[in-house]
Amino acid sequence: MAKKKTIITAAVTGAWPKKENNPNVPMTPSEIADDVYACWKAGAAIAHLHMRDDEGNGTMSTEKFTETWDLIHNRYPDCDIILNLTTSGDIHADDEIRVAHVKKLKPEMASYDCGSMNWLNSGLFINSPKFLEDCGLLFQELNVKPEIEAFDPGMIANAAYYLKKGVLKAPLHFQFCMGCANGIPGSIKNLLFMKETMESLCPGSTWSCFGVGHSAMEILYGAVALGGHIRVGMEDNVMYSKGVLADSNAQFVERAARVIREYGNDVATPAEAREILGLKGR
Amino acid sequence: MSWGALYFYYKCPKCGKLFKYATDLIPEFGDDFGKCPDCQIMGTFLKEGARTLDDLLYEEVE
Repeated sequence: MAKKKTIITAAVTGAWPKKENNPNVPMTPSEIADDVYACWKAGAAIAHLHMRDDEGNGTMSTEKFTETWDLIHNRYPDCDIILNLTTSGDIHADDEIRVAHVKKLKPEMASYDCGSMNWLNSGLFINSPKFLEDCGLLFQELNVKPEIEAFDPGMIANAAYYLKKGVLKAPLHFQFCMGCANGIPGSIKNLLFMKETMESLCPGSTWSCFGVGHSAMEILYGAVALGGHIRVGMEDNVMYSKGVLADSNAQFVERAARVIREYGNDVATPAEAREILGLKGR
Repeated sequence: MSWGALYFYYKCPKCGKLFKYATDLIPEFGDDFGKCPDCQIMGTFLKEGARTLDDLLYEEVE
């Protein structure tokens, strides 16, 4: 029997950690492009990209996305990694700005946060019904596969609603975001619940997951054991292990690849990931 | 988008140790949430946040 393929997504920077948290967090387009390439060499099939402004804060600047996109393609022409662009890199960005780079670059994948929530008990992370409807239809028009980020089971139910309404198109691909404030805590029990909720509401979907902070390893092992895919990187964790800063994003990818292979699966190549996710490539 | 765990940051009133607890572990720690890992007494709450810039000064209690 052929080995199961497990997809590794590298989320290399996010919008939050800074050099003060870990000097190895990539911030500039050049640093991000270099990290994406290193992660691809280590086994990542997908790169989930955020951008930072010149002060290191999260930004949805189309110029920054374009600069990074061009650097990845021009500096590393051998790199066939799937690019997955965030639509949620700055909670203050308006709906138009959040998708401007998607319209311009037409990536194979982009994130789709399927509900609103309180952000760090201090602000609002708003994904309004209008934004989700417009975004889902735009993605269909541009042939961009939504990566449906679910921070709790209710967001899976919301995805089922949009699926029935035709805003989203099956098969869906979920990213279970676990351990974030106001979201579902990261544990195997909760991961199983997310998976089963998805299977009952959106059968035939694929899924990936990650755990922030202390739940990172539990969720990594759980993802492999439960047949999902995994996301790693400094967007979610700047510590490699307790009290130890990560040397690089590639270090996380290398560990995930080891876990996958030790379990008995294969690490999916970008071409295999495209097949699993139904992507046609660009 | 993720932003890491949300932490409560504390200082031990007895030994001065700086430490932090991830808020998603409130159910696991129960009444021990916020206690100094060395002295086992309740720490003085300083602030909350996700990876504040001085985050590395605080030991994570797990």
